[in-house]
Amino acid sequence: MPTITIYKDDFESLLSGGPSEHRMMPIEELETLLMLVKGELKGYTPETGELRIELQDSNRPDLWCCEGIARQVRIKQQGQLSPYPFLSGKSKSRMQITVKPGMEQVRPYVAACAARGYRVTTEGLAQLIQAQEKLAEIFGHKRKTVSIGIYQLSKIKFPVTYELVKPDEARFTPLGMETVMTLAEMLMVHPKGLEYGAIVSGAGWVPLLRDAAGQPLSFPPIINSREVGEVQVGDDQLFVEVTGTDLSMVVLTLNIFASNLADRGAIIEPVEVQYPMDTSLGKRVKTPLDLGKSKAIRIDTIEQALGQELGAKTVASALETYGYDVRPGKGSVKVKLPLYRQDLMHTMDVVEDVAMSLGYAEFTPVMPAQFTVGGLSDIEQTSDRARELMVGLGFQEIISNILGSPESYSGRMRLDETEWGCMVEVDNVMSLSFSCLRQWILPSLLRVEAASSRAFYPHRLFEAGDVAIPDATHELGSRTDTVLGAMIAHAGAHFSEIHSCLDVLFYYLGKEYSLETVQHPSFLEGRAGQIVVAGRPVGVIGELHPEVLERWQIAMPVVAFDVNLSQLLS
Amino acid sequence: MDISSAVIDSLHPLEIKVLTTLGAHQPETVLDSEQLASAAELEPSQFSMAVEWLLAKGLITIQAETVTPVVSLTKIGEEYHQGAAPIERVFGAARDAAGTGKRLTIPDLQTQDGLDPSDVSKAVGRLKKEGVLLIVQGGCIETTGRPSPTVEAIRLLLQQLHDSSCELAEFSEEQRRVIEDYAVKRGNAKEPFRVDERVTRAFMLSPSGASAAEQLMKQGVAEEVSQVTPELLKDGSWRQKRFRKYTISLRPPRVGTGKKHPYREFLDTVKTKLVSMGFQEMRGPLVETEFWNMDALFMPQFHPARDIHDVYFVKQPTHASVIDESVLAHVAQVHQHGAATGSTGWGYSFDIQRAKRLVLRSQGTAVSARTLASSPSIPGKYFSIARCFRYDQVDATHATDFFQVEGIVLGEDINFRTLLGLLNLFAREVAQAKEVKFLPAYFPFTEPSVELHVRHPRLGWMELGGAGLFRPEVTLPLGVTVPVIAWGLGLDRMAMVALGIHDIRELFTDNLELIRTTKGSF
Repeated sequence: MPTITIYKDDFESLLSGGPSEHRMMPIEELETLLMLVKGELKGYTPETGELRIELQDSNRPDLWCCEGIARQVRIKQQGQLSPYPFLSGKSKSRMQITVKPGMEQVRPYVAACAARGYRVTTEGLAQLIQAQEKLAEIFGHKRKTVSIGIYQLSKIKFPVTYELVKPDEARFTPLGMETVMTLAEMLMVHPKGLEYGAIVSGAGWVPLLRDAAGQPLSFPPIINSREVGEVQVGDDQLFVEVTGTDLSMVVLTLNIFASNLADRGAIIEPVEVQYPMDTSLGKRVKTPLDLGKSKAIRIDTIEQALGQELGAKTVASALETYGYDVRPGKGSVKVKLPLYRQDLMHTMDVVEDVAMSLGYAEFTPVMPAQFTVGGLSDIEQTSDRARELMVGLGFQEIISNILGSPESYSGRMRLDETEWGCMVEVDNVMSLSFSCLRQWILPSLLRVEAASSRAFYPHRLFEAGDVAIPDATHELGSRTDTVLGAMIAHAGAHFSEIHSCLDVLFYYLGKEYSLETVQHPSFLEGRAGQIVVAGRPVGVIGELHPEVLERWQIAMPVVAFDVNLSQLLS
Repeated sequence: MDISSAVIDSLHPLEIKVLTTLGAHQPETVLDSEQLASAAELEPSQFSMAVEWLLAKGLITIQAETVTPVVSLTKIGEEYHQGAAPIERVFGAARDAAGTGKRLTIPDLQTQDGLDPSDVSKAVGRLKKEGVLLIVQGGCIETTGRPSPTVEAIRLLLQQLHDSSCELAEFSEEQRRVIEDYAVKRGNAKEPFRVDERVTRAFMLSPSGASAAEQLMKQGVAEEVSQVTPELLKDGSWRQKRFRKYTISLRPPRVGTGKKHPYREFLDTVKTKLVSMGFQEMRGPLVETEFWNMDALFMPQFHPARDIHDVYFVKQPTHASVIDESVLAHVAQVHQHGAATGSTGWGYSFDIQRAKRLVLRSQGTAVSARTLASSPSIPGKYFSIARCFRYDQVDATHATDFFQVEGIVLGEDINFRTLLGLLNLFAREVAQAKEVKFLPAYFPFTEPSVELHVRHPRLGWMELGGAGLFRPEVTLPLGVTVPVIAWGLGLDRMAMVALGIHDIRELFTDNLELIRTTKGSF
């Protein structure tokens, strides 16, 4: 979900359809209007009129700019979306792009249009650049699926070709650089080349947009030519192109830019793209292009989902004032999304738009009435019971991260290279401190002990929580078990002290247990026992090995136990 | 003057001894510390405690205060007593030399074992002044044969003061001069004598003290004890005892206690509330497949939140061995073309291997997805308090490891309005909020989606949670045909306020003192 910057003044003038006589809108009213676009106001600077808005819906890239938000609000206020003239289909395209064979291997699709008659303003340019970045980054998956280039139309001779070249064959001065360089050099030294080069550099051939005079426009999706592709305030003839790997996303992106520029007063002229191969839209694709398909939706489906009787008229008007093309039918409506949206996957998507258009406040909450029985899982009940007992035994409960370091869970416990030291480890480690899941609880308690030598003694600590135990027989390669760990630390801490606690715990949990001598590296030999219930090991108890304490820098004897409650229960 | 019995009952046995000792004398008798202490048969430390308490209570008064200089031996003095003072040794060495006819110089003396050069100079100077030593040609020391009054005085003093102290006034003027010369002073700690000022106070009963003493004497014989003991109870002798009353306003010593962790306690109250509202707990594994964590929730495999920078992947094994084939196939079809859900699907080719990739559970909704697929009750309400992991830089507001409180509600009567009704209930029960706002929201797996904002009694307007109706693309392939609410509550902010902390990392703090002293207010 992107956060964008818009200017209040710019927004208000887009709402009223002109810069001259727009109304100053109170900020509270603007916040309410943002509900229509799932937008949240994150910041407002009254001096500059700068608004920071977070847009939640990742399927509505048309809203990630001032024009899109203003459009959604304007439709609501004006009652319907006035159709864009450039979709009439009559306008013959004087401009063409020829796609050369081989592009389907690398980045097959391109869509473009021209915009005349809108003189670019400071705010307009900022929105253009911001939309370009946000759409390519988030909607276009970091330019992989979609990227956008904007140029000065007057410098381009048509037809433009979209072709593959060897990286060292073509050269131009890229944006942000002073000198001419080859595409290969751009991949190696230009910041954008370094960031996005991997998208296209694998095949040995890379895409290039070049005009009829042989002048390169851009190296998609990396960087534009500085000569042609540097738009400035005051320019009034623009050329917009979108390249990518998904044709409908490429067309949608172009539609969004066309609508945005049209909303600012530009006349949009379509561009025809000629493909050597057949695409899902044919060999010749003229853009902008409305890809919307009509969908018939039953009124009662909408009413049922919303839990409210609305009637066909209300539904139709709610959708119309949200930008839909609506044809009322008998007990149903036929709806089509505007050209800048493609997010209708299911009837439920329309249901939400009806609710948003009407406003969530229009719906009275109703309590779900059906009776259900609440309760806790068996393991949670056992864990809660054990926790109560530990509190009764005078232990302070601890709560810890599960994600930690091999050093604490195994290394300091002297468990490296042992069966007890196996853990679920993270592959994409960000920090060693958070690189594996704990396989037992004691290290979590020692973490507290090591940090708390100044807290008055004795220390009696416990934690009951989840651990992940590697288990090759399990389909996930590990089991999640709930484990209880407890420890006592003070100058005279002794095995029998913790043993007494274990004894009480098991007595009240109703489990008979025995201790069997075990050689566990974390404990002193001869002072460690495996806790066995019904012939199965369920935990360990003992006096911690001085070397373990030394590694934790704990200067107090510690006795402890670790009991797997899940195993105890099964 | 009368005195309340409360004062008398709170008297410590030591105080009683002092009071009754004074009271046994004629009225207005004045006794000094020494007399009083010995008459009351108290150790000096006990005596001084008792006197301070009684003075504080105004039961005795100080009648006079005399300051007496008292002489005693320092540690060095005791050593000189065992051995000899430097001046004795110097004088002795000089006499020995005279007897044997040996030459003796100051440097000879200064190199003698245990003699400090400055002590030697001081001794020689003093002896010369007394006329018992002469320095002759060549720096040799000779005795005049006369005895040294200083040496003799020091010897006597060392013997007299050994293990006891005496008032300075008891000594002759000459002795006092020697003491003065050989006493510890500022800048010269290495001397055998110390002159201290002993403060002797003389006490008398105050009017209220006299009255207290009188009453105490009347009460007479009952012995006061501090402790009820098994012996006293067994033989009934407690009847002859008086039990001292304690000063109960004093702070007690600290005691270690068994206690739940405040954050767990907070989560426990949430858990109890949910159960009371008819929710059944559900649980799931910490290590999840991408399938349950995301695919089953209709998040396309190219979704940005599935990126390597958002989710922790498991190193070994990398993939689950199996996922239920039919569920997997259903979900795959829905992603690809919507299958029979009425959806268009995402229109990409679903990667089965990717679905089996193991991750650390990144959202509690994974647990809900598993529940949907395992024949849940209809109608049914479920919740989980699930530990989840996000690939985030840790700071005051972000943890890599946190709890999500999430759940589902299934039923024929579930729709957008009952969804709002449920959120109203949460607002009231969990946040004690009467005012709510519902805002449109976006979650990949719900439509419509709602954000719940509430006016918390202490925090003001805050986001309490998010919810929505699960998309049919989620429920249908998992075998659920009724509408389902998916809800989640963001409780960490409420928890932090309840625990009085400002850094999310402190929820899992390693500071035992902090854990012990934090009392949640829920």
